Amino acid sequence: MIALTAPLLWLAVTFVVFEGADSLSRASNRHPFAHPVLLATPVLIAILYFSGTDYRSYYDATFPLSFLLGPAVVGLAVPIWEKRALIRRLALPIGIALSAGAVTAIISAVGIMLAFGAPQDILVTIAPRATTTPVAMAMATALGGVPSLAAAIVLFAGVVGGMTATPLFNLMKVTDYRARGFAAGVSAHGFGTARAFQVDPTAGAFASLGMALNAVFTATLLSMAGLLLG
Amino acid sequence: MTMLGAIALLLVFQLCGEIIHRLSGVPLPGSVIGMILLIGWLALTRREWPSLTAVSGWLTAHLSIMFIPAAVGLIDEGDALTQYGIALVLATIVSTVLTLFVTASVFRWALRFSEGGKDAAT
Repeated sequence: MIALTAPLLWLAVTFVVFEGADSLSRASNRHPFAHPVLLATPVLIAILYFSGTDYRSYYDATFPLSFLLGPAVVGLAVPIWEKRALIRRLALPIGIALSAGAVTAIISAVGIMLAFGAPQDILVTIAPRATTTPVAMAMATALGGVPSLAAAIVLFAGVVGGMTATPLFNLMKVTDYRARGFAAGVSAHGFGTARAFQVDPTAGAFASLGMALNAVFTATLLSMAGLLLG
Repeated sequence: MTMLGAIALLLVFQLCGEIIHRLSGVPLPGSVIGMILLIGWLALTRREWPSLTAVSGWLTAHLSIMFIPAAVGLIDEGDALTQYGIALVLATIVSTVLTLFVTASVFRWALRFSEGGKDAAT
């Protein structure tokens, strides 16, 4: 392949495959199993595999897409700031539930991987699993983990959370949409938030708040742990 | 502020975050430091910036395609997946459901203290 055309070629392929995956996702009424990333990734892996393209050249060619993740993460400040009245009014439950949820997510995921004898790069990859995907990838990179694996784990966590949240909350008899939404956002980021908005607008607002706050909180917690543990 | 101004703002805050990250050695990613700085800036300026809301909303709405280049990187993670794939699936399921349970329980419990009948009507 001529080097000059590589970004054009791979960006075109990526957009076409993604758009196809996204229309399937829309046709399925946004079912969690039909998430466009879950559908598009295996197709693109197959294309790279059969065309004998190495991942590094694909990554370099599609770098404009990865680059946008940085400003997108910075922009997460806006929804947090816009919900400041909500945060002030319910500071206590939000603060305590966020801390409890974030710590539970990290310790349970890392603990189970430790029990399976996973090495440190896998542990730091799964540690930010409850944060939104771009933050988890950035954290995995910062802590010496594997960003692609972090993306896969976080997306899978989103599918699990999106599918189990409603039946679990019904089983627990949690009727308060603030509690339900916030928990969905803290544990299952964008997927939990999307699901919460389908159920109830209040649940959706609290889910997006839980997702945004947990991104900052878990990232800060893990970076402090990273400093302490060296 | 124009759209371009909002893009410039996001990039400048990310750049500041990246500089702080490199100089201080804090393992917090530059983009996350940039996010915290932007919250501080919004708190200082105390006004609405519709174009910033529009640009950051557009980016958030299209996050999925931005993950694709990284997700395709799984092509090189065959070893990790064959060795720890099942453990990763199990850990992710347990951790996700447990976190839902703990967060919802604690939120419901703490709600009693912050609302204590005071605004039971709302």
